[in-house]
Amino acid sequence: MTRRFLTHEEMASLVAELVAAGTRVIAPVCAKDNAEQIDYMPIRKFEDAKLGVSLPRRSLKEFFLPPSEVLLYYVQTKDAVDIREVPTEPPPQVILGAMPCDAAALEVVDKVMSWGYRDELWFGRRESTTIVTLLCGVMDSSCLCTTVGLGPDSSRGSDVLLVPVEGGFAARLVTSKGEVLLADRGQAVNEALQNSAEAVQSEARKKLKQTLPAIPAEFADWLSKNFDNPVWKTLALRCHGCGACAAFCPTCHCFDIVDEHDSAEEGSRRRNWDSCQTSKFTVHSSGHNPRQSQSERFRQRMQHKFSIYPKRFEEILCTGCGRCSRICPGGMDLPEILGSLLAMAETKPEGSAQ
Amino acid sequence: MKELQELARKLLSDGTVKVVIGYEEGPHGIRAAFITDPAQSEKLVFDKRCVQNLVAYLNPRRKHLIQLGKPAIVVKGCDARSVAGLIREKQIERGNVVVIAMRCGGVLENPENDSELTCETVSVRCAGCDVREPKLYDYILGVLPPEPPVNPARAEQIAVLKKMSSAERWQFWTEELSRCVRCHACREACPMCFCVQCTADKAQPQWIDPSATPRANRAWQTMRVLHQAGRCVDCLECERACPEHIPLGLLARFVADAVERRFDYKACEDPSVPAPLGLYRSDDEEEFIR
Repeated sequence: MTRRFLTHEEMASLVAELVAAGTRVIAPVCAKDNAEQIDYMPIRKFEDAKLGVSLPRRSLKEFFLPPSEVLLYYVQTKDAVDIREVPTEPPPQVILGAMPCDAAALEVVDKVMSWGYRDELWFGRRESTTIVTLLCGVMDSSCLCTTVGLGPDSSRGSDVLLVPVEGGFAARLVTSKGEVLLADRGQAVNEALQNSAEAVQSEARKKLKQTLPAIPAEFADWLSKNFDNPVWKTLALRCHGCGACAAFCPTCHCFDIVDEHDSAEEGSRRRNWDSCQTSKFTVHSSGHNPRQSQSERFRQRMQHKFSIYPKRFEEILCTGCGRCSRICPGGMDLPEILGSLLAMAETKPEGSAQ
Repeated sequence: MKELQELARKLLSDGTVKVVIGYEEGPHGIRAAFITDPAQSEKLVFDKRCVQNLVAYLNPRRKHLIQLGKPAIVVKGCDARSVAGLIREKQIERGNVVVIAMRCGGVLENPENDSELTCETVSVRCAGCDVREPKLYDYILGVLPPEPPVNPARAEQIAVLKKMSSAERWQFWTEELSRCVRCHACREACPMCFCVQCTADKAQPQWIDPSATPRANRAWQTMRVLHQAGRCVDCLECERACPEHIPLGLLARFVADAVERRFDYKACEDPSVPAPLGLYRSDDEEEFIR
């Protein structure tokens, strides 16, 4: 695998060239109204990027699946409907300084986006985007990446993995897209540089104080066997059902499709983020709702992430970013909840009696 | 704190209630606790970090909590106004909830920090508080602490907004609401949003576009705040829940001020005082009907 060393200046000229060529470059920056908060936003120059400061508030999801996007426009005439589709080949973009958990999430969600039907908008953006990930050094007690099989130096979903070393970055070119972006830049990584990059990586892994063990393969089965376990009735008492967790989750991908009229004849078909945490998500046209209470809706969230998706796609639908726990206004904490379920699964592997 | 824990233990042990809804220490600071086992009563805490209004958990939409049985709830004087609101609007019966009120000397804006109460750290909720000594309760606990410092942030924001022309205010709110992703967390965390079917969720007809567009976001928040007229108790749970930090309480506060001016009514802790939205008065000003 190719490794290149790039100085900060070489990074700056890379960004300058990309921006000059019309490529959108997205990086973590200080939020407009709050200097302590980091958001992924388009940048004009490398100096605007705030790399390695903290986990950006929202994940990268919105750059591939926007909160609301138009699928097509329509005009109704007396005898016909004229449909105008939106382009599915967006211009190229580069994400610089992605978190490893956010980059990995894209690859996890690829599975469902190509399940039976290949989602043109999702893959249009996936293919036109190069993801340059930065080794994570900003973990806290909400993080779960090692529990779900990732880590602060995971390169899953990344085209390039940057490791900060003195004077610049040691870049691992993970994919051919990464090669195209960086192969001719900077200089080859010599042994000394390679050693210091490895030291930084192992330091990052050490810094991570995750108390939960990696999720065992049997957990998915245990969850489905324990669908009716009474524990679900009390796990989500403090959950407001607001769905902020799903909005901020890099892997939650459910959407709703609606038609919205601009006038009697014209309108658009849109898809919008949706969340299984709201009662509307499952309500039938008859008015019946198979998920009556928040207990069932929270159970669905856990089952989908840690049982249904792993069984279908061999992927846990969580990359351990911890945003759900940090954002929750009710104080729901995924490490705590997952920890109690994992402990139950270990002591009662066959599941519980009613 | 001991007093509170012992009361909870007693109420649970003698079967007066099945669950005590109060505050506990969580992994991210103070959060709601649901104590069903008397032995767990010692988890309960009450201190200046208890900013949340827990009355949302009495809201009848929460079927997973109703199944637990009759609740007791820990409230501050300000939160008791939401209990009164739910009783006033026939969502709960007074006899079906035990209200444990805490005398309060102000709370911190952020339940994760345990700092001194200062003008910067105290919740904007506490400015102008006149219910440190709660009035609606079955049990009242604690010793009345001194008045908290005043956080001027909200009053300053209001002053700035009032100075704006209506076009500038429109611009201000259009920008703030442009961040809304329509997750409806504001509604779900609100103790007074108890509609079985929210108009925003209706698809036939679709009164409000569900997409997160400036037009639809404005329509959604305008509808919500108008439906809260004279009902909102300014607890700011909507703002705390909003993942985009939109100052929704500010919007509600403008409507509450208008209700006070026009109808001489402020959401209060006496459930027998009717709120303007549910009351016909022949001397209401109706100058808009010409």
